[in-house]
Amino acid sequence: MITLNRACRRARGCQQLLIAHRRLSQSALDRLAQPVQSYISTSRDPYLNLSVEHYLLQKSAPESTILLLYVNRPSIVIGRNQNPWLEVNLALLNPSQQSQPETESPGLGNVDLVRRRSGGGTVFHDEGNVNWTVICPPKAFTRDKHAEMVVRALRSCGVERSRVNERHDIVLDQGERIADVDLDNTHITPYTRHAGLPEIRPLKVSGSAYKLTRQRALHHGTCLLSSPNLNIIPDYLHSPAKPHITARGVESVSSPVGNILLSNEHFIDAVRSKFSGKYRSPEGTEHIEVGEDWLDHEPVRQGYEELKSREWTFLQTPQFTISTSADPSCTTDVELTVRNGAISGGHLRHRGGAVIVELNAHSIGQRVHNITSWPETLSQMFTGVDCAEGRRLGAWFERMLPVQART
Amino acid sequence: MGTIVPRSLYLTASTRLQTQLLQSIPYRSLHTTHHLNIVKPFLLADIGEGITECQLIQWFVQPGARVEQFDKLCEVQSDKASVEITSPFDGVIKKLHYDPDDMAITGKPLVDIDIQSEITEEDEAKLAGGGDEEGAGSAVRGVEESIGEREIRVEGAAGVDVAEPAVKNPGSQPQPERRRSSGKQDHSSLATPAVRHLTKEMKVAITDVRGTGKDGRVLKEDVHRHVAQSTQQQPTVHTPMQKAREVNRKVPLTPVQTQMLKMMTRSLNIPHFLYTCATDVSSLTALRKTLNISASSPDQRLTQLPFILKAVSLAFQHHPLLNSSLDSTDPAKPQLMYKSAHNFGVAIDTPSGLLVPVIRNVQDLSIGDIAAQLRQLSEKARDNKLAPSDFGGASFTISNIGNIGGGVVSPVISEPQVAILGIGRSKIVPAFNEQGDLIKVEELVFSWSADHRIVDGAECARCAERVKKLLEEPGKMMVEMR
Repeated sequence: MITLNRACRRARGCQQLLIAHRRLSQSALDRLAQPVQSYISTSRDPYLNLSVEHYLLQKSAPESTILLLYVNRPSIVIGRNQNPWLEVNLALLNPSQQSQPETESPGLGNVDLVRRRSGGGTVFHDEGNVNWTVICPPKAFTRDKHAEMVVRALRSCGVERSRVNERHDIVLDQGERIADVDLDNTHITPYTRHAGLPEIRPLKVSGSAYKLTRQRALHHGTCLLSSPNLNIIPDYLHSPAKPHITARGVESVSSPVGNILLSNEHFIDAVRSKFSGKYRSPEGTEHIEVGEDWLDHEPVRQGYEELKSREWTFLQTPQFTISTSADPSCTTDVELTVRNGAISGGHLRHRGGAVIVELNAHSIGQRVHNITSWPETLSQMFTGVDCAEGRRLGAWFERMLPVQART
Repeated sequence: MGTIVPRSLYLTASTRLQTQLLQSIPYRSLHTTHHLNIVKPFLLADIGEGITECQLIQWFVQPGARVEQFDKLCEVQSDKASVEITSPFDGVIKKLHYDPDDMAITGKPLVDIDIQSEITEEDEAKLAGGGDEEGAGSAVRGVEESIGEREIRVEGAAGVDVAEPAVKNPGSQPQPERRRSSGKQDHSSLATPAVRHLTKEMKVAITDVRGTGKDGRVLKEDVHRHVAQSTQQQPTVHTPMQKAREVNRKVPLTPVQTQMLKMMTRSLNIPHFLYTCATDVSSLTALRKTLNISASSPDQRLTQLPFILKAVSLAFQHHPLLNSSLDSTDPAKPQLMYKSAHNFGVAIDTPSGLLVPVIRNVQDLSIGDIAAQLRQLSEKARDNKLAPSDFGGASFTISNIGNIGGGVVSPVISEPQVAILGIGRSKIVPAFNEQGDLIKVEELVFSWSADHRIVDGAECARCAERVKKLLEEPGKMMVEMR
């Protein structure tokens, strides 16, 4: 499947070495031009899966429609423009490197933190969750279209409580059967409660996000089938820093979630079937496996490296401010402004005191994710902070903006 | 300040590369001899879903950068969607109106571009000062609801590894251009990208169109003129210069218009949906003819309207929701009141304009009674003798425009009612009977508008169908009469 190529043609205009690089086979490249394509990933690596998805978005023929299905090992995926310190309990992510005695890891081991390229909120992925992506031409795109397709797939598996809600997510209606409805309507089920009945919140099983370019529209969503981790997900998605951070950017809207209780295979078959039915290809649709060998292809690898990089994960954060002032247990008011993931300003004031100490200029540009010791960093940021206070403040910041393990 | 972080190493490098490649092509020199040198703000288009602002994530250009049509300008994010915005023109970036992380407002300027291509009227609308904001910037709307096939642009590593699209789009050029460089001496030099797009849309070969612009350039008007002439579907649309005999007049609103303005402005809050239903009124007309033969005087003759009013009232016994009243003065606590009385407002066209007097308690009236009241009301209206007691308290309105015309109409609901019925003029149409023979039927279209905050489509449809059945077989009405 992989062929050696001759010297890199992109050398023109670039100061690049002539490297012999492998690339996708010609058949794989030709496939990108077909009107209907269906892929499934054999990898559990979220960075790879998202890179493949991005590659398909950029390189597939503009008129084609593509389905991609993938499953990730336990990871937390934040939206393009979200704030990881606000959305995620970072201290739980890499338990082996944590020195905090009070954060007891729920036992999931390492959980990856990934920033995806589409908008929307934060989600938890694990092997009980199947992700689906549809890439199509913009003129065929609506926000509901493929969510409706997935609901039809679910209903064909017997999940009659599933429907698309007004936020383009997929939910399971709870409670007793209410009325007979048009079963072709994917926005209502016989269990949908109307005004006049006591409300029972539906359970969210799939969230949607989109990326729109001039030529292509990408819609991807999760699908909670049989996650064993439902009860600990809230711990991961609840950040202790949240009350203390003021930020711009999209905040997650949290909803109660539930498992559909379907096997991955059953769901995958159903989605493929609905997809093939909707986008008929004269020769029938072959479901192509995508694996780690795609990393040998330069554009995929570049995207992969970017997604894995801590720069992408942390420095793409919109500006935010973190402050101790809302925490009554602190005796000092410290405020730090962070722009592009790096300290851009701040000040400190002892409560009850009048003196305001400004952030030292040499600390500007300090990348938050590179901080290895908060007490040390704080004493560099502000002059006149004594040891005890530095330790207390250091501990507070350590809880809020946990030190990131070196990868 | 720390090092500046390139937001996306991969993407920016290749875009820059592409721009450099394209800049070196002599084709561009054709533009420099004739450019408009206007700097205009390009507005952030509406990306749908009622979103009024979105966050600016990153810029792909800086002031001074040359852009071509379709080059990426920036990426914005709104709730769940991250969207790439591309330039609709060739030109030079003059000013960025937002910093990354700022909230950009739809309809307001996003970036100032020194436009260096000919711009069409459509493009004018995307700029500030080009008129209404509705038309602003299809660059983004073109992403969510694309206008049509554009030139297929190749992104990424100089197009080496990209598959050529195998899928042909009707109306697109037979050979998609790989890069602009190959188009320098061919017909693409005779027109701007906007005009070339227009020729594709109108399925016209650009070589067939005579250009009246500079250097024989084909302009948008030339394409339209060509289409008009070749299809000969429209007469040449050159309206002769009208002598401005009529002068604009400023006129105050009449009392009826003032009231209409107030009422209809309030009705703007109501999300209307329309359900139309063609009803076979042949039986009804036959029945009326029979009854009217024995009418004692010409003005005792029965028209359709009393029957319709009664049928609606009978249907409302089964569908009381449409006769209800919504009190939304407190937006936190909307109150819905089911009304027992069927007080129907009947819209009448009078010399002073539209008036809606009310017939009260239709549920207790016979068809004859209804007809009598209607007659009274229209006499009073004609003589301008309608009293305040004739108005007000309507729970439902019927608007009959049939004496003038009309097929499907889209009536506007008056607060606090939740529905309205509009009726046009009946006409004879061909249809098939049960034996499959072609027969003439008299068809009347009923247009129901309802408030979608209260009434759903199915409920309105069921009520409409019930009214239809009652009128198609008037005997059924007798069975339900109280």
